Amino acid sequence: MSFLQPLISGILTGGVYALAGIGMSLVFGVMNISNFAHGDLMMLGMYLAFFAFTLLHIDPYISLVLIIPISFLFGYMMERIFINKVIHHPHQNQILLTIGLGLIMSNTALLAFTSDPKILTTTYSSSAFTLFGDVSVSVPLLLSFLITCGITLILYLFLSKTSTGMALRATSQNREAAQLMGINVAKMSAIAFGIGTALAATAGALIAPTYYIHPLAGHTFLLKAFTICVLGGLGSVVGAGVGGIIIGVVEAMSSTYLSSDWKDVIVFLIFLAVLLLRPQGLFGKKGGQ
Amino acid sequence: MKQIAFLAVLAAVALALPLVIGENPYIIGILISMLMMAALSSAWNILGGYAGQYSFGHAAYFGAGAYTTLILLTLYNLNPLFCIAVGIVVASIIALVTGSIVFRLRGHYFGLASIAVAEVVRLSVLNFNFTGGAQGILLSDVALWDLDLNSKTPFYYGMLLVLVVTLSITAYLRRSKTGYYLQAIREDQDAAASLGINIYFYKNKALLLSAALTSVLGSLYGLYIRFIDTSAVLDLRLSIEIILTAIIGGVGTLWGPVIGALLLVPLAEILRSNLIGDVLIKAGLVSETSGVGLFLKGSLANAHVLLYGIITVLCILYLPKGILGLFRRKK
Repeated sequence: MSFLQPLISGILTGGVYALAGIGMSLVFGVMNISNFAHGDLMMLGMYLAFFAFTLLHIDPYISLVLIIPISFLFGYMMERIFINKVIHHPHQNQILLTIGLGLIMSNTALLAFTSDPKILTTTYSSSAFTLFGDVSVSVPLLLSFLITCGITLILYLFLSKTSTGMALRATSQNREAAQLMGINVAKMSAIAFGIGTALAATAGALIAPTYYIHPLAGHTFLLKAFTICVLGGLGSVVGAGVGGIIIGVVEAMSSTYLSSDWKDVIVFLIFLAVLLLRPQGLFGKKGGQ
Repeated sequence: MKQIAFLAVLAAVALALPLVIGENPYIIGILISMLMMAALSSAWNILGGYAGQYSFGHAAYFGAGAYTTLILLTLYNLNPLFCIAVGIVVASIIALVTGSIVFRLRGHYFGLASIAVAEVVRLSVLNFNFTGGAQGILLSDVALWDLDLNSKTPFYYGMLLVLVVTLSITAYLRRSKTGYYLQAIREDQDAAASLGINIYFYKNKALLLSAALTSVLGSLYGLYIRFIDTSAVLDLRLSIEIILTAIIGGVGTLWGPVIGALLLVPLAEILRSNLIGDVLIKAGLVSETSGVGLFLKGSLANAHVLLYGIITVLCILYLPKGILGLFRRKK
């Protein structure tokens, strides 16, 4: 039984990580940019959910209806104003720009919301039910996981069935060829960044009821999202989904069998091991690029 | 000739500065921070600027030096110089592990992996017992020859020495075979490899050199402040400050990191010590008890990281070659 407990809670948490990872991977695939502001965008999502709950009294899961369009617009504008200026720059400039934007977001949040961690307590925050006799399943984590699955399915249908989705995938495969086929790649970049931001903010909002909310919380999630992307293969959306679940399970397992202090170290060691043994990731196509 | 005269004047000013200021600990403290940041950024520049390998994890080498030195001193009370040397060895080992993993890859991977290594080091230090964990390490007393290590002046000259050594190495590298190889790798890795340059070897060489210098600075910092914890010496923020200093001055130039430090460190100090708020309140422009006054006094002290963010964004968008880039003729 003790094996099932971390496995199940790991899969549930991993689902939310996967959402953040998919957002980052999509941006990477379409724009070839490592977005170092991704964790801070998650942090913004956490605060959006928190204020929707405390000020407007909207349940964090329902407030997604507001958070998703707001954060999409935010990301879209961010790409139009800042990111597209460096899309042809060396990648270290892109990284530094997103680091700078991340610092601005996290430290503005620090000034505005102070460094006191906030906790979003819903009526069901600590409720759980038991499965298989003695495996306890947290209700908010399960809800988050189900919503994650729903959003991933919608994203999958969007990417595979709509013309915008196909244009996004074409841009991801070959930017120049997509442009030659008449696809507005600049617009696709902005859309990809908007979706990436919306996914990050959603992941943040979904994690908010079970986590503490802090202006610098994004830092931890940024590195997790990177690990997930590299594990799955940079730019691979499917890979990021699988990578998220794996990282969630690894974390839960190392908390149970080792110590929760070391779980992040294990995650980063996996990251380095992937770079050493299989740099293209589980689902990546080209290696060493 | 003009260059030598300029350098001589600069050296004389740098050497005489503590004598002129006397024992004002505040000013000396700022000068030490400036020298340290200039040296850190110059050391980073060897790898990032000349070899084109942007490390986002240099705090790991700084922390390796600081922690090794302070742990050895508190446990065995060895000669500080020996401790600094052991620090270099530890930092070099971390650098070699990083290099052997990531230099076979290119592009985004080196940046990402350098952060991952730095985080593994930071979290390990935080979780081990012998490193003091979250409490950090407090050094009570240290002695070296007849130096008065309670005064700040020896550390001023120590940091100055490391800065001069780093700049000399950089100046020498620029005109040496290794330096040309590194710049070739930065410009076009494949072309460099096809000319027979062992890119793996030279990248590691640059990383080792950069890491060793960074670790010496970490050791000096630890001896100077006498208290270290992970948030002071191993944080990602430190790595980013190091890069930012180089970017603002001019990456891949000899003097860029120095200029960056001369600008950024005082700027951060003004915000940290709340000089702006004090001046505005004393001038009577803002009332101390008003909302704005309280905000200026209370929160603005934390705003220097926000300012770093804004400067980074503006610099990348409008001044990607740094301040020195402005004076260079466009090729």
